[in-house]
Amino acid sequence: MSADHGVASTKIYFREANVRALREEMRQNPRVLILGQDVGAFGGSYREFDGLYREFGAARVRDTPVAEAASIGIGVGAAASGFRPLVCITYMDFLMLGFDPLINYAAKLRYKTGGLLTAPVVVKTTAGAFGQGVAHSQCLEAWLMSVPGLRVVAPSTPADAYGLMKTALRSDGPVVYIDHKRLFPIPGEVPDAETFIPFGQAVVRKSGSDVTVATHGFMVRIALEAALILEGEGVSAEVIDLRSLAPLDINTVAQSVSKTGALVTLEEGQTTCGVGAEVAARLYECMGMRPWARIGALPAPVSSNPVLEAATIPDAARVVTAIHLLLGQ
Amino acid sequence: MIYKLSVPAAVPGVDEIRILEWQGTPGTAFEAGDLIVELETHKAVVEVRAGQSGILRELRAEPGDWRGVGLVLAVFSDRADEAIPAGDGDADLKVEFEIT
Repeated sequence: MSADHGVASTKIYFREANVRALREEMRQNPRVLILGQDVGAFGGSYREFDGLYREFGAARVRDTPVAEAASIGIGVGAAASGFRPLVCITYMDFLMLGFDPLINYAAKLRYKTGGLLTAPVVVKTTAGAFGQGVAHSQCLEAWLMSVPGLRVVAPSTPADAYGLMKTALRSDGPVVYIDHKRLFPIPGEVPDAETFIPFGQAVVRKSGSDVTVATHGFMVRIALEAALILEGEGVSAEVIDLRSLAPLDINTVAQSVSKTGALVTLEEGQTTCGVGAEVAARLYECMGMRPWARIGALPAPVSSNPVLEAATIPDAARVVTAIHLLLGQ
Repeated sequence: MIYKLSVPAAVPGVDEIRILEWQGTPGTAFEAGDLIVELETHKAVVEVRAGQSGILRELRAEPGDWRGVGLVLAVFSDRADEAIPAGDGDADLKVEFEIT
């Protein structure tokens, strides 16, 4: 326990933040369920459900077969009939097997029934490249941002993992909650008091005056690393963690860019129709054109070769170079 | 001789670990192969075993504490009556670790 900034907190891992949010919500609401591969006695692929099976039993923490479409379909059906299921899809790459129930049924249910029915399902998944090859490494969150009715969040700290998961489990519509594999080894302070992080609220992780970097997930750490290098070169970068991609908090980005005058968007996924393209377009709609550079994965699958994987994914050096180019340095 | 036990770089990508449980208190004598301490990463327990004999003299971290890779966890000595210097000592205790 520690008490930085007057708020009592405890340093924990992401998985423990997930467990804490789920335990609190499952105790509070008997209709919260967990479905997924290895979520039961095994405790989850990343131990993010440790102890929940023991406390809540097999009826509420249910192992599913390797059948993502069926798992999400069952979760959506259970949600429509009054439960609040969390469906765990271990790798985001396999989320696409469940797009039909998620996008055609869960996200549209409220619209189709004139508000009579909702599908309060949370699909928790894990994105990102971490040496696992072409089909276990992708960041597909930009695909999801264009679905009306779907909410998409991606924490970069254990505190946000806890607070966003709490909000997701109280949400009335489908939520896709995205963890990142490379964040799991990094612990962080989480407030001891029950906390909800509202959707649609970005946060400034580092303030700066020359350029705004808008990013999310693990890339927040890359942006902070780049900002530290730039600081030594006399360039002051402001780093914004979007946290919530749908709804997107464009106001925080706009406030920052009105101060710095330039925008860099940084994502681990592809830049074509990416998160950055959407951030820039919305920013221009509200404040007109500003200098902008977008950084993302190179247009190639994430390789199974670790050297090529590293070459594909943005790192701090690429961010530093892009910012110097943008600022004409 | 005085030895220090530091957090091993046991798991790639892990810069900081949590102390789970000590298997001794100051004064405990360890032989090669004895389990000294269990450390916890995001997904694994790292069992740190003695690679040589030694007497545990001082704990520098308690269960639940976090320590970065390379920081000192405990001080050992060959004999129970050797004075412990104020610093960390120069020599590293030989250890083996197993990740479970």
